[in-house]
Amino acid sequence: MTAVIEATGLERRFGDIVAVDGIDLRVDSGEIFGFLGPNGAGKSTVVRILTTLLRPTAGSASVGGFDLATRPGDIRRLIGVALQDAAIDPLMTGRELIRLQAVLHGISRNAVRTRGPELLERVGLTGAADRRVATYSGGMRRRLDLALALVHEPEILFLDEPTTGLDPTSRQALWEEVRRLNGEHGTTVFLTTQYLEEADQLADRIAIIDQGRLVREGTPTELKATVGAPTLRVEVGRDNVGTARTVLSEFGSERPALEGRAAIGLLDGAARVADVVRALDAAGVPLVHLELDAPSLDDVFADATGRRLEGATDPV
Amino acid sequence: MSGLRLMGVQTLELARRSVVNERRQLLSVTPGLVFPLLLAAVYSQQFRRVLALPGFPEVDSFLDFVLPACVIQAVSFGATAAGSELALDIENGFLDRLLASPVARVPILLGRLGGSSVVAAIKTVIIIAVFLFFGAEVAGGPAAMLVIVGMSSLLVLAIGGIAQVMAIRTGSQEAVNACFPLIFVTIFMSSAFFPTNLMSGWFRVVAENNPLTWVIDPVRRLVIEGWATGDAVQALGLPAILAAATIGAALLSLRRRLAAP
Repeated sequence: MTAVIEATGLERRFGDIVAVDGIDLRVDSGEIFGFLGPNGAGKSTVVRILTTLLRPTAGSASVGGFDLATRPGDIRRLIGVALQDAAIDPLMTGRELIRLQAVLHGISRNAVRTRGPELLERVGLTGAADRRVATYSGGMRRRLDLALALVHEPEILFLDEPTTGLDPTSRQALWEEVRRLNGEHGTTVFLTTQYLEEADQLADRIAIIDQGRLVREGTPTELKATVGAPTLRVEVGRDNVGTARTVLSEFGSERPALEGRAAIGLLDGAARVADVVRALDAAGVPLVHLELDAPSLDDVFADATGRRLEGATDPV
Repeated sequence: MSGLRLMGVQTLELARRSVVNERRQLLSVTPGLVFPLLLAAVYSQQFRRVLALPGFPEVDSFLDFVLPACVIQAVSFGATAAGSELALDIENGFLDRLLASPVARVPILLGRLGGSSVVAAIKTVIIIAVFLFFGAEVAGGPAAMLVIVGMSSLLVLAIGGIAQVMAIRTGSQEAVNACFPLIFVTIFMSSAFFPTNLMSGWFRVVAENNPLTWVIDPVRRLVIEGWATGDAVQALGLPAILAAATIGAALLSLRRRLAAP
């Protein structure tokens, strides 16, 4: 496999704040690379650096074989970018924006005439093509943003949290389009997300970023395998958590859990659930709720950072 | 497509966007045309007796005298728009979309200014037509009228360049709009509404050294006295030099902003 994105020791500081702290990355040609992390982890900063919008404070990177520091113009010709906020001029129509983006990429007016309607149809905006963007819904804006990023048929596509704020149907539609682009055109996709499901569903490989540092990297299967045992969670009430933890420690290693709960990586899996229930009962711990989950990316994140990714940034 | 030709095409397309935006916000563009016309109407009534002052240029109507001022006021409204729209592009992230595309930095700035320049030319044609309708006379004829249109298009680039520097440095539309009164004050502290030879004290010194006076006076001579190539060159040349300087400053500001560690 050929690497199309490579970064070594990438660092970005904003005053005293270290947003990106010495990241090494490699993304191969034709893969969907998921960059997973909570808000403020440094995902967007990495995207802004790799798309030439921000200079790194230290480190080096190349995109499409071109060095970020010396050949940014060549990189811009290769990449398509849909940034987090779907920055689209609200006074213009979808068709006008497609045309503008095409002209900026040096595509001839004749080519725009055929490619523009094709793209608008592909993202389901043919009917709204001549309406001002101000009248579009959030999902329509995201789809137009994707179409704009694809105008010049880029080899590498950067999508920064493309489905944040979208309803489930729009999210599914966007996932399908990303899969289609990757499958049919071999487009390399660098996708940032804070949604575990999105990374799990779409990405061939995932890097987990937290507080500016890469904490895990691999395929979803590899990452889940590193966590090993399934997670057993019990809800026992705040006063009984200490006892429950002591009892559970006989059955596996402790994992982060919400207040009033305890969790472990259950050794030997489901076969021992009955033993756990009996042991808790014998210790006089009242069981309110019990659940057993196969390892998820959230477990991987928790294992790496001691915090849960979904729903909270506080320790759980 | 060669690099230079691509830059030209990109600039034209971005200017087209700017014009389309202005057309779609007619309500915000119209005051920039109506207000100077109203002011001219009021002044031509209030200052009718000023025409008799010794040393005041010999004109049939105050309208002839105030035409350049009216054009420059209208232009200044549009010029700040070029900066404020750029600030909006920075605020809402549209500038990032442009910067992540293979578009040179010059078209990004010139496109916005070019659109404002076209709008300024249209406004100037309307103002001249209204003035002529109400009895003003342009002694320099159609050639002088063309010079006025050209001057307004160039001056919008010059003032717009300053507004773009503000936009790039602050990234705030409000900050750019806040500098508009300064431009307005600069117009009043020139020969726009009164000839400098009838002023006195520090105000006269300021007005005589105000670059706007150096643009307004030759335009006024073209309107009142008739065609003179030297006046035409000064009326077009000075705004062109100012525009080159301010656009250069805006380009430097953009480069610095992008290179900031």
